[in-house]
Amino acid sequence: MTEITKSKDLGNGWVELNIGPQHPSTHGVLRLKVKLDGEIIREVEPVIGYLHRNAEKICELDYYCDSLIYFDRMDYVGAMNMEVGYLEAAEKLLGIPPPERVKWIRVIMAELSRIAAHLVWAGAFGLDLGMLTPFFYCFIEREKILRVFTETCGSRQETNYMSIGGVYQDFNDKIVYDIEEFIEQFPAKLEVIFNAYVKNDIFISRNKGIGILEPEVAISYGVTGPMLRASGIDYDVRKAEPYLVYDKVNFDIPVSYKKDNLARFLVRFEEMRQSIKIIGQAIKKIPDGPYFNPKAKKSLMIRLRGEGETYARTESPKGEFGVYLVGDGGVKPYRVRVRSPSFKNLSVLPVLAKDVMIADMVAISGTIDLVFGEVDR
Amino acid sequence: MIEVKEPKKEIPLIGTIKVIFSIGKHIFQKPVTVQYPEERPALPDRFRFRIFLSLDDCVGCTLCEQVCPNKSIAMQKVERENPRNKRKIYPDVNFGTCTVCRNCEEICPTDAIYLTNVFETSRTRNSFTYSPEELSMPEEEVVK
Amino acid sequence: MSILLRLQSLFSIFGHYLSFILAYLLETVFMIVFVMVSLVAVIYLFRKYMARVQLRIGPNRVGKFGLLQLIADSLKLVGKESVLPRGRDDMPFRMAPVIIFLGLIMSFAIIPYGSLYWVGSLTITDSDVSVLLLFAALAIMPIGELLAGISSRNKYAVVGALRGVAKDISFEIPMMISVLALVMMASARTSTPLNLTSLVSVQFIPYGIPQIIGLGVFFIAMVARASYSPFDMGESDSELVAGHSTEYSGMRFGMFYMGMFGSIFLGSMIVSILYLGAYNGPFSGDLGFIYLLIKSLILVILAFTIWLSVPRIRIDKFVNLGWKYLLPASVINLVIAGILTLGLGL
Repeated sequence: MTEITKSKDLGNGWVELNIGPQHPSTHGVLRLKVKLDGEIIREVEPVIGYLHRNAEKICELDYYCDSLIYFDRMDYVGAMNMEVGYLEAAEKLLGIPPPERVKWIRVIMAELSRIAAHLVWAGAFGLDLGMLTPFFYCFIEREKILRVFTETCGSRQETNYMSIGGVYQDFNDKIVYDIEEFIEQFPAKLEVIFNAYVKNDIFISRNKGIGILEPEVAISYGVTGPMLRASGIDYDVRKAEPYLVYDKVNFDIPVSYKKDNLARFLVRFEEMRQSIKIIGQAIKKIPDGPYFNPKAKKSLMIRLRGEGETYARTESPKGEFGVYLVGDGGVKPYRVRVRSPSFKNLSVLPVLAKDVMIADMVAISGTIDLVFGEVDR
Repeated sequence: MIEVKEPKKEIPLIGTIKVIFSIGKHIFQKPVTVQYPEERPALPDRFRFRIFLSLDDCVGCTLCEQVCPNKSIAMQKVERENPRNKRKIYPDVNFGTCTVCRNCEEICPTDAIYLTNVFETSRTRNSFTYSPEELSMPEEEVVK
Repeated sequence: MSILLRLQSLFSIFGHYLSFILAYLLETVFMIVFVMVSLVAVIYLFRKYMARVQLRIGPNRVGKFGLLQLIADSLKLVGKESVLPRGRDDMPFRMAPVIIFLGLIMSFAIIPYGSLYWVGSLTITDSDVSVLLLFAALAIMPIGELLAGISSRNKYAVVGALRGVAKDISFEIPMMISVLALVMMASARTSTPLNLTSLVSVQFIPYGIPQIIGLGVFFIAMVARASYSPFDMGESDSELVAGHSTEYSGMRFGMFYMGMFGSIFLGSMIVSILYLGAYNGPFSGDLGFIYLLIKSLILVILAFTIWLSVPRIRIDKFVNLGWKYLLPASVINLVIAGILTLGLGL
């Protein structure tokens, strides 16, 4: 560090610039190696691994029930969805199906969590573009969801609510009332946030026609979730391969054929409205019954044994979330492997952010919706 | 499947002015901030943080130590007369690594270890490890 | 009777020369104190206003209503180490914040403030070419930004400085053309149209009404000069960390910060002087200064609201806006001003 490093001459007048890992727009610890031609970006290379916590290996060293807290910390803004994803695999492997009531509870919690995750994204996306205020309105709404989570299971963000074959604590009348109150007032607030974005000429000009993702490219890079649907492919695991009780509720998958930043923005906001619709139906249909499977009650938690291998996929807020589990008959899984959607979506950034301006690259990486706990695991 | 429509085009600048107005209007609303030490919002009923141990109920089965994902719980020898706890071992908890996953509460066969809604457990020095006796005391009495 | 002569008459026992020297010194101190106090007030207002729009409370711990928060913050900035990057170009790096601050104070010295009760006229510099002086002083500040960007040897800072230059070029020409229209209208009434005081005195109806286009162009230019969102491409925090001031810390950064807030206050004052009739209003003989403050504060609040609710415009779009929309608009405004002056004799 004694010498001042001269910037390497790249020939052709380009400048190499490291954006991140400590940078205001990288949503955590993303590092982008960027080659700049003046204001225009010629090459982007994402460098990941700054938040690697070895979650998959730690899961292999622990009991099946303990892995949940590490899954909470993968996509930490939509933790319930991660729990659902893991439990889909774990319950299949261990042969402990959840009772009917639990399935409905899980759907409600997963959708609330999806709204919370999209709200965080919506606020942070505004910050990326330089809009300071909608961020706070988004977080005020998210706080109400986290309040419901605290009411239900005692924690705000890393909830650890669901257990193998059930949930830790049952719904009561107050929770049902709180959720109903939330879905009552939320759509109006969502419209305020939505209008604050889309009515803005500058917002439209920053997003329309920027970051076009062709459907063929999206498929070949393994892009899923709202990004894929904004490219015009109506693929959603909740519809394509329904898990829990998603086949018993009525909802639509938002699709856009415009393929740009604005399409991804609109798809995510429409998804929030559809989630409200799902919660509204589920809260009415939720049946009575036990809230855990007696085969997996207390004190048996660490004695569950599984053998074989399973793969389960669920629709997390970021895209298709897959969990691969191998059990060797012991109380601990032999192998845990996670297919994280943010990681796959990030890999398409070099294609999207080629020959765009710096400001556009920030907007594009904003619409990918990166959560680094999940990319690096 | 529904196709999302792009918002209908407004006259340039009119939409932006509407947005500026609608955001400026928020100044008339009440702030949502709760100024914590003076004002305290009502805690939800199920909010849990601080682990509490009932020494009389603990049977020293070590299940909590096994299930703890972060190995925050370790068993300690405590000289204490308890006919149900022959080995005289009780759990201690390191709150520096505890993630409040509530697995210990779930698995405890005698409900000896449970979580309370006390959350003001900040310490400025010394270790975060609570010995079994300290776990069984109310938070105010724990001197660290 | 201006403030200088009043001060001089206080010191008249020291003789002619010494009394003028003392009066000048005291006047300078007055002005710097006024600038600092108004900057602190604007920053406090911004923080409180931003907090309330975002449904927060804002600073409220230091002093009553957090009024002393800014004092505490500036003390912290003074106490902090001002880190100097190793690869810097030393003299420009140290000079840049001073240049920005100097330009700000110089511009504040030229503005006519109107009068206030027994104090009389508060105007400090009364020159026959004060319009030219004012815009010359305003043109100093971008030099500081450019020097800061290039001398700190940081890629973010260089890109920020280049953006700043591109931004300045694209709004300065429409801005000057719209000022030209004002001077043109004023020249029909007064023999010294370049004097800000006489430019104000001929505004029987504020020039913002016949020249509404010019007002828009000039306000946009002033917001862009202060590099406020949506025109803060030069220091866009989510793209270029902090633009030209990336490598600065301590009080040097504080000077950039104050330069930013000072220039929005200055810009609002200039807009209200040129277009909104400045210190004119009912009973303006005594309350002129208050009128000026109120008018500029309304404009400051407007600029804050725009900052809080609008995303950042892209630099090429802004250059487009400057050359393709603002420039023709200002030329149209000039033509309208010509018609009004020659045809209607307004």
